[in-house]
Amino acid sequence: MTDISAQTEALGGLLTRDRIVRWAPVLVLVALVLLFPFFEFLADLVEGKEHVYLLDSRFFSIRNGARIGIAATPALMVAVGATFIIIMGSIDLSMEGTISVCAVLFAFAFLGWGGTLASWAWLAIPLALVVGALLGFVNGMIHVRLKIPSFMASLAMGFVGTGLALLLTGGDRLRVEDELFRSLLTVRWLNFPIMCYVALAFLLLAWFIQSHTALGRNFYAVGGGEQLAQSSGLNVARVRIMGFTLAGIFFAVGALLAVGRIGIAETATGNNFMFVSITAVVVGGTALWGGIGGVWNTLVGVLIVNVINNGMVVIGLPPYVQDGVLGTLVILAVALSTNRKSVTFVK
Amino acid sequence: MSFIKKFIEQETVSRRNFLLASAYGISGAAAMRMFGPSPVQAATYADPTIAWSYRNRTNPYWNEIVSGGEAFVESLGKQKEFLTHLINEGSSEKSLADVKALLAKTNGELALAIDTNDAPNARPVVEACVEAGAYVSTLWNKTDDLHPWDFGDNYVSHMTWSDEGPAERTARILLDAIGGKGGVVHLGGIASNNPAIERLDGLKNALKDYPDVELLDAQPADWDTQKAAQIMASFITRYGDEITGVHCANDTIGYGVLEALRAEGMDVPIVTYDGNPQAVDLVAEGKILATVFTNPHWGGGITASLAYHAAVGHFKPSDEPNEHREFYGPTIFVTPDDAREFKTNYLENVPTYDWQDFWGPSNGQIMYK
Repeated sequence: MTDISAQTEALGGLLTRDRIVRWAPVLVLVALVLLFPFFEFLADLVEGKEHVYLLDSRFFSIRNGARIGIAATPALMVAVGATFIIIMGSIDLSMEGTISVCAVLFAFAFLGWGGTLASWAWLAIPLALVVGALLGFVNGMIHVRLKIPSFMASLAMGFVGTGLALLLTGGDRLRVEDELFRSLLTVRWLNFPIMCYVALAFLLLAWFIQSHTALGRNFYAVGGGEQLAQSSGLNVARVRIMGFTLAGIFFAVGALLAVGRIGIAETATGNNFMFVSITAVVVGGTALWGGIGGVWNTLVGVLIVNVINNGMVVIGLPPYVQDGVLGTLVILAVALSTNRKSVTFVK
Repeated sequence: MSFIKKFIEQETVSRRNFLLASAYGISGAAAMRMFGPSPVQAATYADPTIAWSYRNRTNPYWNEIVSGGEAFVESLGKQKEFLTHLINEGSSEKSLADVKALLAKTNGELALAIDTNDAPNARPVVEACVEAGAYVSTLWNKTDDLHPWDFGDNYVSHMTWSDEGPAERTARILLDAIGGKGGVVHLGGIASNNPAIERLDGLKNALKDYPDVELLDAQPADWDTQKAAQIMASFITRYGDEITGVHCANDTIGYGVLEALRAEGMDVPIVTYDGNPQAVDLVAEGKILATVFTNPHWGGGITASLAYHAAVGHFKPSDEPNEHREFYGPTIFVTPDDAREFKTNYLENVPTYDWQDFWGPSNGQIMYK
């Protein structure tokens, strides 16, 4: 999207308020990436060790970048799914249950059909995606047909999912130890494990859907002004249901990567994903009231959250202040990336 | 309005006590029951409802506890569905409300095994049970000033585990394995959880005897595999090869640590806690140096069994010594040498326990600091 107002101003062309707001998440990310090495630099300075800023940083290294990448990829997929919903001005909180069900069913099928990608067990991957889509579809139907707010419908579906996963496993954990499948984590190309590239591919797919398909543009139309979209002849109900279905598929991809990362599928696989993904979407600059933002914002948001989490441990911040710092930084990031002039009210 | 409710509750209890007392022909028992322990055997029941109140089954540990409760119920020749499940989902309020509801439904003819979710909640739960004439055995949570022997027969027993000693022993196994020098990191449970605190304390106690080993860092991983993997990755960034050993607060954290090490192609000895089947496999493969099994299956079964057998009158709790009322649960160390044997004996074939051998595997009376 080009910004016409910014181009017309000659001097302020580079630094208009709009542009700063748009790039605020990236600036926050860059600032954080430079901030944590600075703390390392200070620590070594105090101890009298030799330390060239950035060059000697353990945080600012490719190895650590890969570690942040591993931590971020499943959350990125989940957050991308949630992005579509949030662009529509709705919210999807069903991810934890959906992830658990997809992970558990994937593991059952994978182990049952041969236990290695080199057999028919690979079919477990499309199965997991179908299950994710199905759960998302049901979620959307409940939201649209029963006219239950997406917040409540998806939250409830999440609980149903967690319960279903528990019912399926009986509380046990399933180990997926196939070397071929685990190569997602163990095999590296250019220092990064394969799971990062898989996530990148799906991110590009999400970007394509968002900007090059009618469905993607309809998400913005619904989020920007639902009644306007409705009266222009858009089948809003259909767009919503398709949005939730699409989100379900991305949750399933997140589930597969989460299983690939630790080799375990269990009811707890979905734990913590709700907080991380919604936070990441919002921190990235996608507005909760819809119509603004996109998957690249979400990428930046996920990276911000994971850089903070990783950096706090790397600089040795005591555990009891970490949650507080994370919360503060989230507020800061959202405050910077919100254009308050364009928002008349916040609910 | 609560005073009305309380009045009605008290009236109900007094009436029942009066009827029971008449039935037993013991005058005055009704009055005495209202004011603390009674020298006479509290009312017993032919076929009390058996219930387990706990967080939920998502966690493998609680799943084991409850499966023990089910095994006990089956040993009575009943279907395992006979066991009533009260699931508190981590809410003390729900825990207490559910217990009160079940007491009302069963008229106090109840044998209850419970983890009250947090320590302060144990007192109201116990008092509600005692007042209704039900029998209760607690597990894990209670305050230090609450004792079964202060409640006559109805508060049957309390079992818990002290994790400090066993965690210290696994720490020593780890520190010996790294040759008594280098650096260790600790990944803990939820910071405010008692077992998490005790397990870290165990490591710190052991470290006193190993001056050449530095505790590089300790961070809470909230008992969560994925969080543990992320924290371990951050530790690797910060300390790299300085890390020569990892002390984990439980098995699920250990799995995450192993995966983080695997992603880096690193091989560092680790010890864990809980003795879950997967961890025991990993011990047998030599990937984990040691874990501690606390036999939750037995713990869950015996807690229900104590409440039940007291409720039917097979033994009189107030005749038992204090070490039979408050005691530590069993701890069994699993190391590579005995992992396979342990697995065959305890996990692959869950032993058929004698559920009336209440105190055989236990570990002595609870000591307060």
